[in-house]
Amino acid sequence: MRAKPNFLIVDYGVGNLYSLRRAFQFLNASVDITEEPAALRKADAVILPGVGTFRAGVSGLTKRGLAEAVREFATSGKPMLGICLGAQLMLSRGFEFGEHDGLNLIPGKVTILERLPDGGKIPHIGWNSVYSSRTPWENTIFDSLPNKFSVYFVHSYILEPDSPDHVLGLSSYGGLEFCSAVRKNNIYGCQFHPEKSGRDGLAIIKNFINISTNTA
Amino acid sequence: MKNVRIIPRLDIKGPNVVKPVHAEALRIVGSPEELARRYYEQGADEILYIDIVASLYQRSLDLEILKNVSRDIFIPITVGGGIQTVREMNNALRAGADKIAINTQAIRKPKLISEAAKEFGSQCIVLSLDAKRRPNLTWEAYTDGGREPSGVDAIEWAKQAIYLGAGEILVSSIDQDGTLKGYDYALIREIASIAPIPVIACGGASSLESILLAIDSGADAIAAASIFHYNDFTIQDVKKFLANKKIGVRLDP
Amino acid sequence: MIIKLDKQIEAQPKKVEYCAKCVVSNQRPRITFDKNGICSACAYAWKKHHEIDWEERDGELWTLADRHRSKDGGFDVIVPGSGGKDSAFSAHILKSKYGLHPLVITWAPFIYTDIGWKNFNSFVKSGFTVLTCFQNGVLHRKLAKIAFELKGDAFEPFVYGQKAFAFHTAIQWGIPLIFYGENGEVEYGGSIKNKDKPFESIGDWDTLYYKGAGIDTLLKAGREMGTLTEEEATDGAFNLYRPPSLEKIQKLGAEMHWLSYYKKWVPQENFYYAQKYTGFAANEEGRSEGTYSKYASLDDKTDGFHYYMAFIKFGIGRCTSDAAHEIRDGHITREEGIALVRRYDGEFPKKHFKEFLEYIDITEKHFWEVVDSYRPPHLWEKVAGEWRLKHQIS
Repeated sequence: MRAKPNFLIVDYGVGNLYSLRRAFQFLNASVDITEEPAALRKADAVILPGVGTFRAGVSGLTKRGLAEAVREFATSGKPMLGICLGAQLMLSRGFEFGEHDGLNLIPGKVTILERLPDGGKIPHIGWNSVYSSRTPWENTIFDSLPNKFSVYFVHSYILEPDSPDHVLGLSSYGGLEFCSAVRKNNIYGCQFHPEKSGRDGLAIIKNFINISTNTA
Repeated sequence: MKNVRIIPRLDIKGPNVVKPVHAEALRIVGSPEELARRYYEQGADEILYIDIVASLYQRSLDLEILKNVSRDIFIPITVGGGIQTVREMNNALRAGADKIAINTQAIRKPKLISEAAKEFGSQCIVLSLDAKRRPNLTWEAYTDGGREPSGVDAIEWAKQAIYLGAGEILVSSIDQDGTLKGYDYALIREIASIAPIPVIACGGASSLESILLAIDSGADAIAAASIFHYNDFTIQDVKKFLANKKIGVRLDP
Repeated sequence: MIIKLDKQIEAQPKKVEYCAKCVVSNQRPRITFDKNGICSACAYAWKKHHEIDWEERDGELWTLADRHRSKDGGFDVIVPGSGGKDSAFSAHILKSKYGLHPLVITWAPFIYTDIGWKNFNSFVKSGFTVLTCFQNGVLHRKLAKIAFELKGDAFEPFVYGQKAFAFHTAIQWGIPLIFYGENGEVEYGGSIKNKDKPFESIGDWDTLYYKGAGIDTLLKAGREMGTLTEEEATDGAFNLYRPPSLEKIQKLGAEMHWLSYYKKWVPQENFYYAQKYTGFAANEEGRSEGTYSKYASLDDKTDGFHYYMAFIKFGIGRCTSDAAHEIRDGHITREEGIALVRRYDGEFPKKHFKEFLEYIDITEKHFWEVVDSYRPPHLWEKVAGEWRLKHQIS
């Protein structure tokens, strides 16, 4: 029988940690919250949450020595899930309140959501659909989800991975199509909040748990 | 197609959900845990959780109750009530809140909005605006659970708050609150006309048509309390009605 | 010199104690505390919520209504009221549920507030016939002035007329049944003499409501003060402030009942009801001065001063009264009540101050002289030139 993996949610000073932890607990995963860089080495899977600004995120990680720890974890091949700001921080550069370096786990940049052809309010807040680019979803965190599923977004910045191979999911808002999920090997990033997206959101987290169980 | 969000509002006082009228009186209508769960299961898009007496009683939001309520609810919860500092916001976020609503303290110290937006991002900050009609198509903003006139023009204040970094506006009509007589459509129109950020309309939902009218007036999201607490309609009743009228809504798969 | 006729002040206990359950103190006239430190109003509230058989009482109301209901649709009950939440509730429920035909009588407030007038009109519009007495503009004001000086409460003439007018109308129209809303004494911690009775007798009036000095005492004092001329003091208008003769009342068989005897009286619920059925609106200016409440006692600009004088005389302001009954009805906890009292009690009602001074025709200086003369030394002290209550609930 496979061992039950332990999940670690990284606490870097901002974020709705409670709801995220609750979602994992609800799905019977063993989960902890930590701001200790050393703890990441022992984790089977890491989650980088996020509510906040890119700058505050980078600063929060750096201050705690977590930036290095997260980068190191990413090279281990073990699964990682970035959510919203967490996903954004995984990219190379962000442009919120100035230009900042991200963790550079997935090449790309984070830019402001603007110039919507059909108009629309910013921030993008609310439920919206995620659909596939050309990347198949089998064995990813979107495994078995319907072709178009609804999840909760709340953001003013978007993920722009350099390579289309890293685009896992797309969404459309105000006539603009943008990347709503990224993936590079076992590193996943969701612009939306799966822990806030009802049943489908929980299914995504469940998939991540399964992937982590298989990898552990 | 942009989805309109349907958001049940829980007015919290201590361990109870209450339902005021004209932002007055505190009749108990249920338990926060039970009502939140019921609405989550009915397909609500978000939950509004506002402690309406915190500012009045000059006390803080009870985080334990919030934790219990948000426990197994996997949709966004906007939390407000007596929040005065960035630290309190952080505590609320850690206790289950996804977005923070501020009213009284924001009017007293508008800088709080920009501080919070810088710390958490605009999308996390909701300006809660309790508005009371005045002559000549103007409205006044109220604080302390709808009991203190602030002397500030509601529309001008909304503009200022947006400028300072609020990510959403929750606009509640004190006149219509709890009356089941329809929203203040003129108020919604005014706010929608000046707000480049999402507008959540609140106060007065009566019939399914009244909700449609609020959307036509410019609301991006609809909040309601009485019609849900008193079981006049379920969330699905509202969504199905809107879907039939070709309004985009998230229907439960 | 200021002659004082308010006998209540002499009866106050010198040591201030607060009820263990609500926020009221033992300074309130006629209130009693039991051995556990719980006030009589709270004790009654407990009974109200837990012991009284309201179904039985409802049965009694039906019997009473059946007895009085007119067969030809004519008025069969007098409901004194202003269109405020309580009288709106009373009139509406007596009509819609018990099939009675209320004739509402309004003893006009001293100075209508905008919201009071609006609510009054909404009430009328919702389907009631109302007879309003607008008191003689000159004489009513002079009474208020005299009452303020001599009783420390300009409000008193209102109370006389409110009761008497109901009886005068009853006799004129031949309607024996009069329905008041609440038995204020029992609900708020006054005399519990009538807590098990649906009505009071006229003999009770003097002690309970007139603070030991009926209108004639005021008139006499007014003449001595030089405020009233001989002619004014004997004006027939004042007959409206005196109850009709006991003989006439007995001949009609007039009975004054309290709805709060028959129905569990919860002012907050009256607000919800009135809002729903008679268009009652909460105070549009936000909370009333001296309290947090927006639904109680909204229609008179002089109300604030009535409550303020109670604060001066007894250390019990408007907020304390509002919070106390909300605690008793379970809407707020004692801690919440205390927080509210500490925040709002004793707030000076400055919004209508100028108008009030003009109304009772005194200068601001004299107003404060009168106010200060009513501060009992066992409650007030002067600290750094400012008056301060010696005791505050905590």
